[in-house]
Amino acid sequence: MKKIAVLVAWMMLCAAPCALAAPQAKAAPVSADKAKAEGKVVFYANMTSVEPVMEAFQKKYGIRAEYTRLSTSKFIATILTEHAAGKLTADVLQAPVPVMELLKSKGIIASYVSPAAAGYPKWANKDGMIQSFGIEYVALIYNKDLVKAADVPRTYQELTDPKWKGKIVMADPATHPTTISWLVGLRENVIKSDAEWRAFLKGLAANNPMFVASFGPTPAPIETGEKLIGISMPKYIVTKAPAPLDWARVSQPMMGTPRAIGITAKAPHPNAARLFVDYWLSREAMKIMADQVGEYVLAPGVYPPIAGIDKARVIPIRELSDDEIKKWGAEFKKIFAK
Amino acid sequence: MQKTSAALTPGLIAIVGFLTLCPVVMLILGSFSGELGAFGAFTLDKYVAAYTDPAFAEILVSTVIFTLGSALVATGLALFLAYLNTRTNIPGKFMFGVISLIPMMVPHILFAVSWVLLLNPSNGMINLFLRQLGLEGAALNIYSLTGMILVEGLLDLPIAYLVIAPAMSAFDVALEESSRVCGASNARTLFRVTLPVLRPAILAALTLVIVRSLASFAVPSVIGMPGRIYVLATHIYSIVATGYAADYGMAAAVGMSALAASITLIVLYRRLTREGEKYVTISSRGYRPSVIDLKGARYPLFAVVALISFVLIVLPILVLFYTSLVPYVMTPGAKAFAAMSWRHWVTVLKDPVSLLALKNSLFLGVGGATLGILLSFFVACVIVKVRTKASGLLESLSFLSFSFPGIVVGIGFMWFFVQTPLYSTIWALLIGYIATYLPYGLRPLTSAFVQIHSHLEESSRVCGGGPLYTMRRIVLPLLVPGIASGWILMATMFVRELSLSVVLSRPGTEVLAVQILRFAEDGLWGRLSALGILMIFISTALVVIADGIAKRLSRRG
Repeated sequence: MKKIAVLVAWMMLCAAPCALAAPQAKAAPVSADKAKAEGKVVFYANMTSVEPVMEAFQKKYGIRAEYTRLSTSKFIATILTEHAAGKLTADVLQAPVPVMELLKSKGIIASYVSPAAAGYPKWANKDGMIQSFGIEYVALIYNKDLVKAADVPRTYQELTDPKWKGKIVMADPATHPTTISWLVGLRENVIKSDAEWRAFLKGLAANNPMFVASFGPTPAPIETGEKLIGISMPKYIVTKAPAPLDWARVSQPMMGTPRAIGITAKAPHPNAARLFVDYWLSREAMKIMADQVGEYVLAPGVYPPIAGIDKARVIPIRELSDDEIKKWGAEFKKIFAK
Repeated sequence: MQKTSAALTPGLIAIVGFLTLCPVVMLILGSFSGELGAFGAFTLDKYVAAYTDPAFAEILVSTVIFTLGSALVATGLALFLAYLNTRTNIPGKFMFGVISLIPMMVPHILFAVSWVLLLNPSNGMINLFLRQLGLEGAALNIYSLTGMILVEGLLDLPIAYLVIAPAMSAFDVALEESSRVCGASNARTLFRVTLPVLRPAILAALTLVIVRSLASFAVPSVIGMPGRIYVLATHIYSIVATGYAADYGMAAAVGMSALAASITLIVLYRRLTREGEKYVTISSRGYRPSVIDLKGARYPLFAVVALISFVLIVLPILVLFYTSLVPYVMTPGAKAFAAMSWRHWVTVLKDPVSLLALKNSLFLGVGGATLGILLSFFVACVIVKVRTKASGLLESLSFLSFSFPGIVVGIGFMWFFVQTPLYSTIWALLIGYIATYLPYGLRPLTSAFVQIHSHLEESSRVCGGGPLYTMRRIVLPLLVPGIASGWILMATMFVRELSLSVVLSRPGTEVLAVQILRFAEDGLWGRLSALGILMIFISTALVVIADGIAKRLSRRG
C-alpha cells in the first residue's frame, strides 16, 4: 500500500511539469513583474538596425535588452557551439525561417505562441514554436534620377532587355542564399513554365550583371550611378534616404524569405523572453521596424513608409533546404558563367 | 645571452604553441568532423569535396598571382620609400613615416570601396576625369587582377615598410663606403651591396605580405567578386555562405592549403637566411648609416614620392572624408556640395555602442600591442640567437593562426574559447589578437636582431657587464627601431581587427571594426566613413606617440 502511494506520488511529480508546461505554451499575458525580477533579456539576431526596438522595450518595461548581431553565415555555427558547450546565453533568437527550423531540429527552440501574434497570417506559425513576423522582401531597385519612368521594368522578365546590359547589380547567385531562393521562388510562384524561367535566367546572365557578396553592397552602386538597377531590397529606400532609390512596381508579386523569432529551450530569463517576444510582435514594435528600418512586417495594417508598398502583394518563399540551395547555386553558377 | 635564450626556448614554445595551436587544433578537428562543430565522427569527406572541386585549380592560379603580385608591389614600394627616407637627404621626411603607415589604419573594406569609387569602369571619378580629357577608350578597370594587386599591395605596404625601414636604418656604413672606395657608383652600391645585405628583411617582408594577402578578404570580395575573380579567401567564403548551416569544417579543410603554403614559406625563409652571420651589419665598429646626397635629384624624387602618396593614399582618404559628409554616396558636383553636412558624424558621436567600441579598441590596441611586443621580443631573441630545430619550430608556430584565412580562424578561436571561462570577455579578444598577429611583432624584431653581431654582446660581457646589463645597455637600444615598428604594426592592426572580433565580440565588448561592419551591412557608408576616419585618427595618434618615444630612446642609446 505504501509502495503504491509512493509510486502515485512519483507519477504525479513527474507528470506535474508536463501538465504545467502544456497550458503555459499558450499562456495568457506574461507577468511583467516576474520578467522584471529576471533583470534582463538576451537577444541574438540576424537582422540589423533593431536598436530602436530594443530601446523602446527597455524604456517601456525597465528590463535591460542585450542585442548580439550574428550574420547569417555565423548564426548556426555560433549557436550550436555555445549550445554544445552549455554556454548559450540567448533567451530569444531571430533568424530566417530555414535557420530557425534547423535550430528547432537540434532541440534549441522552445514552444511559445504569443498572444500578440493573434492577427498574424496562419502560415506565420505552423508549429507553436517558430513565429514569422516579416518577410525579407526583394524587388528591383533602380536609380530614379537616371532611369526614365518609361524605362522602369513592369515585369521581372524585362530585366533581360539588352538595354540593361552592364547596368545591373545583384548578389552572387552561386552563393547568396536569399538570391538563390528568390530565383527559385520566381520559378515556383511567378514564371510558371520552366522553359520561360530558364530563358529569363539566360537573358539576365547575358546582360552581364555585376556580382557582390550579399544584399548589403547592392544599393551603393545604384545610388552612385555605377549601375542603374539591381535585385535588392526596398528597405534601402527608407534606410538610405534621401538617396535616389525607388522600386519597380512590377505586375507580379514580391517575394522573400520569412524572418522569424523564437525562445530558446533553456532560456536563462524565460519570463523576460516571453515579454520580449510579445513586445516584438506588438503593433508598436512592428511599426518602429517598418518606419525606421523599412521592414515588411506581418502585423496587419502596418507598412513601411514606401509609396505603393501597402498595395503590393508580398509572399513568402518556400523554405529551401541547404542541399537545394547548394544544388541551385551550382546550377546558377553555370548559367551565369561568363 | 645564448644560454639564457636556449633556456627560454621550451617555455616559449609552450606559450606560443598554446596560443596558436589551440584554434588550429580545433579547426583540424572540425575539418575531419562529420558534424558542423569541431567534434564529430571522423570523416575525410570534407577534404575530398574541397579538393576535387573542378573550379579549384583556377582559383589556385588566381590566388598565386594575386598574393605574389601584392607582395612585389608592397615590398618594392616599401624599399623605395624606406631607402629615400632613411638613407638620403630627401626633403619632407616627416611625412614618409605617416604616409606609408596610413593604409595600415584604414579599414580594408573602406579602402577598397574608395578605390572602386575612383576607378570603376562605369563612373569612377578618375575615369570620368580621363574621359573629360578626351580619353574615351581609356577606362581603367579596378575589377581585375591588376586592380586587386594594386589595392592589396598598397594595403600591405605598411607591413613591408615596417620590416624594411628598421633594417635600412641599422646599416653599417663601412660596407657601402668600401664599395664606393673601390669605385662603384651609388646605384651600383645600392644593387650590389645594400640590397643583398638587406636580404633577410626583404624576404621577411615578402613572406609576411604573401601570407597576409592569402588571408585577406576585403579586396577579393569588394574588387574581385564583381570582376568574377575568385581567390582562396572568396572561395572559402562561398563555401560558408551557400546555405544556412555553414560548414566551417569544410572551410578549414580548404584553409589547410593556406597553412601549408605559409609553413613552406617559413621553411624557405629560414633556409635562405641560414647563414645569419652574413647579414650582421652592426658589429663593433663605427655604426652610423651615411646619408646619400641626392643633389639635383632631391626635388624631382620628392615630387615622385609626393605624387605616389597623393594618388595612392591621400586620394582614397579624401574620398572617405567626402563620403562622410554627403547624405548618400553621390558623384561630386554642385548638388553634392549643397547637400553636405556633419549629420553622419553627429550620429556616430552620439551612438553609445560606437563610443564603447572606440574605448575597447583603444584598450586592445595599446594593451594588446604592449603585451604582444613583450612576447615577440623573447621569441625573436630565441629564433635569431638559438638556431636549433626547436627555434625553427617556434618560428613556424608563430605563423599558424596568422596564415589561416580570417573567416576561418575566428571560428577556430570560438570553438576554443567556448571551452574556457574567457568566452565573450574582452580577454578572449586580447589573447586571440596576440596569438594571431604575433608575426607583426616578430618580423621587425627578428630582422633587427639578425643585424646585431654577438661581438657586441661579448665585448660587453668581457668588460664585466652581466646579461641583464648587456641587454639593457647594448641590445635594447639597438633594437628600438624594430620594437617601435612591431608595436605600431600590432597596435594599428588591433585597432582595426575584424576577422576574430566579428566572431568573439559580444554586447559590452564591441570593437570598432565590428561596428564598421554593421554599418557596411546596412549600406550606411556615411557613418561608416565617419567612424573609419575616427579610427584613422586614433591609430595616427598611437603611431606618433610610439615614434616619438622610439626617437627619444634611440637618441639616448
